[in-house]
Amino acid sequence: MDKSLNKVLKLGIFIIVGTILFIAGVYFIGEKQNMFGNTYNIYAVFNNINGLKPGNNVRYSGINVGTVKEIVMVSDTVIVVKIAIVKEITKHIKTDAKCAITSDGLVGSMIINILPGHKSEMNIAKGDTIRSFTRIRTEEMLQTLSVTNENAALLTGELLAITKEISAGKGIVGSMLKDTLLTKDLREIVHHLKITSKASSSTINQLNKILTSIDKKDNLVGMLRDTSVANKVKNIITNVEKSSRELDKVIDHLDLTIHNANQTITNVKDGKGAINYLSNDPSLVTKIDQTIGHLDSTVIQINNAGEKLNENLEALKNTWLLRKYFKNQEKEKEGN
Amino acid sequence: MYLYVTTSGLNSFFIETGELANFALRFFKEVFKRPFEFKEFLRQCYNMGNRSLLLVGVTGFIIGLVFTLQSRPKMIELGAVAWLPSMVSISIIREIGPIITALICAGRIGSGIGAELGAMRVTEQIDAMDVSGTNPFKFLVVTRILATTLMIPILVIMSDAVALFGSFLIENFKGDVSFTLYFDEVFRALTYSDLIPSTIKTFFFGFAIGLVGCYKGYYCKHGTAGVGLTANAAVVEASMVVFIIDFASVLITDIFYSI
Amino acid sequence: MINSEVRKKMVIIKDLVKSYGEHRVLNGFNMELYEGETLVIMGKSGSGKSVMIKCLIGLESHDSGTITIMNKNLDKMDADTLNEIRTEVGFLFQGSALYDSMSVRENLEFPLRRHIGKFGELDDATPLVMEALESVGLPQTIELMPEELSGGMKRRIALARTLILKPKIILYDEPTTGLDPITSKEIVLLMKSIQDKYKTSSIVITHDVDCARFIADRMILLIDGINYITGTFAELSKSDDPKVSAFFKT
Repeated sequence: MDKSLNKVLKLGIFIIVGTILFIAGVYFIGEKQNMFGNTYNIYAVFNNINGLKPGNNVRYSGINVGTVKEIVMVSDTVIVVKIAIVKEITKHIKTDAKCAITSDGLVGSMIINILPGHKSEMNIAKGDTIRSFTRIRTEEMLQTLSVTNENAALLTGELLAITKEISAGKGIVGSMLKDTLLTKDLREIVHHLKITSKASSSTINQLNKILTSIDKKDNLVGMLRDTSVANKVKNIITNVEKSSRELDKVIDHLDLTIHNANQTITNVKDGKGAINYLSNDPSLVTKIDQTIGHLDSTVIQINNAGEKLNENLEALKNTWLLRKYFKNQEKEKEGN
Repeated sequence: MYLYVTTSGLNSFFIETGELANFALRFFKEVFKRPFEFKEFLRQCYNMGNRSLLLVGVTGFIIGLVFTLQSRPKMIELGAVAWLPSMVSISIIREIGPIITALICAGRIGSGIGAELGAMRVTEQIDAMDVSGTNPFKFLVVTRILATTLMIPILVIMSDAVALFGSFLIENFKGDVSFTLYFDEVFRALTYSDLIPSTIKTFFFGFAIGLVGCYKGYYCKHGTAGVGLTANAAVVEASMVVFIIDFASVLITDIFYSI
Repeated sequence: MINSEVRKKMVIIKDLVKSYGEHRVLNGFNMELYEGETLVIMGKSGSGKSVMIKCLIGLESHDSGTITIMNKNLDKMDADTLNEIRTEVGFLFQGSALYDSMSVRENLEFPLRRHIGKFGELDDATPLVMEALESVGLPQTIELMPEELSGGMKRRIALARTLILKPKIILYDEPTTGLDPITSKEIVLLMKSIQDKYKTSSIVITHDVDCARFIADRMILLIDGINYITGTFAELSKSDDPKVSAFFKT
């Protein structure tokens, strides 16, 4: 009888130990999921939960404070996540806290991360909904990166085509690089401009001399009192001044244009990508065309201006008032 | 000839299955009938539970040790050694603990029941019981099946616990992981979907082991030589049924827990 | 013989047929057991003696024929009535069939569990157990396990277990098989003394001629599945029928 009682006792111990182990397991698993103890339910709304599951952890400043209880899809873009939060923690979470779904480690399960708010004084209460934001996840980053890569591939492909075209001598930049005639023309233009400007400057010098001589000669003073003559002379002088000013401007422009052209050429020679790329821009081509056209017209204008100046001077010679002066000059020349 | 052998083999398989189902049906009919053989039930519980504890405990402990030792190098290679407790705990709770314990119990308890009942059958002890007015099915079969059904889950839980402890020892020696940290990791990794289905299935394991053992023993034939065959067949069939139940339980669990 | 006509019939078997597959073991067996007599049924091994006796106690079902035990038809019995009948009928198994996992005491207490009604409320069965053990002469073995007992002792304990319910009919299935002649003799003597003491009716199945000679009031030879011949030991042993005389040649 004692023996069988002993056995029953041992059996009892065996069963109780087994049951306690099981209950302990159940309890600890439940505790980790915050199934027992005081919890509050709060809500968060997402449009993508990235594979979050009920039972996933919720962290606040890195501490496990709760678990995901329930996930309900309200509409095609609104997913409400019910979160059980340990009651004691709620007094530390302000109403302007934000939450995001992140992954626990590189390949870990998903978690909800609550980031502390700063401005609000109010604590969250039972049933509150906290704001959420979507963090860029690795996948999305990779997706963006792949788009960038595709674009880069396209770009390099096109650049390759452009450089090929340029080296083949197509387009303005290409022709600048390859077409020796064009550069020669440009040089000639510049050369002509230089000559023209020299000529005009000497003309102006001569004009100055004439004017000073007019000032000096007494006989002319009376004549100058004649207003019509004076006006004419004035006009002529203003015309000359205008012409010279225009010439100055033209020369300035020319300088700039040449400088620009030089730079362009050097850049192209250096192979700076952007310009090569930009050379495809048709507007630029037309601009360069226009510039060259302008240059041409400017040169023509300058020539015209020089001609007009010559004419003016001729007219001045023929004016009876100044005839004597010119004759005297010729005489002086002969005398010399 | 070949066809004959195959069909007769197949037939005997179906007949066996049918008889086993009949036997199970009879069990359910008898289990609710009074009187309940409580003393014999306790005796069987003691024999199956307490007496298997050492074997199951040692096996579980070694499984825990070996499993952790084997996985450790690979986990270190992957840089995921911190996940070892969660990995080990999920594998032990979900599969290794229940299946190893069930197989050991199929070996120890299943063969024990088969041999005991077989011997009782061939020495007419079962007939003697019948004659002396005790329903041998209730006295021998119902108590044993109930005992295995209830004891094997407890054995599995203990085996799980011991295996986790073994795993902890390795982690503690090799990785300086504290008891608190280890079991914190373990329980963090586990969910009810790991523990509950695997516990439920152990009841079925226990039922199957008891049922097959009793069925084989109760209908033992061919004298004393038949007892050995019976014990052998009980182990083989019980193990097979355990695997089938395991497979079915995984399928069912999958249906219930897949969201 | 005239005497037996007025005596109460405890067991009547009529046209009992039992087959195992194609093999017909019993082919219309008839038998009657009177109150207080010891009926010995002899037959060769495999002649269906054991089958017949198991049909009688309901351990095997028969194909056709009727079995009546104490005016109750076995075929029409439900499980409860069968159990009731079984209280009145003791069965000594061929190999003793002691429960290996139980002590002698538990073995003897076992039949009492279900038949408590017969003795009223039963808190402690020890007096009954001791009485049964004393009647087989082994009271000292009460706390032993069956594996600690010799074959003859086992047989006696088994007999004690049969006696503990004080049955009106005892069926002996080969009571002396597997025992040495001296032990066999002891068992037979014990059977005889029990017969005298409890006034039971007995059916003894055996192929042991010495046993039959000593114990039999009446004998039936079971040959070819039928009750081939009935008579006292003296009558049968003098028979000229070669099938019968084959049993008595040594």
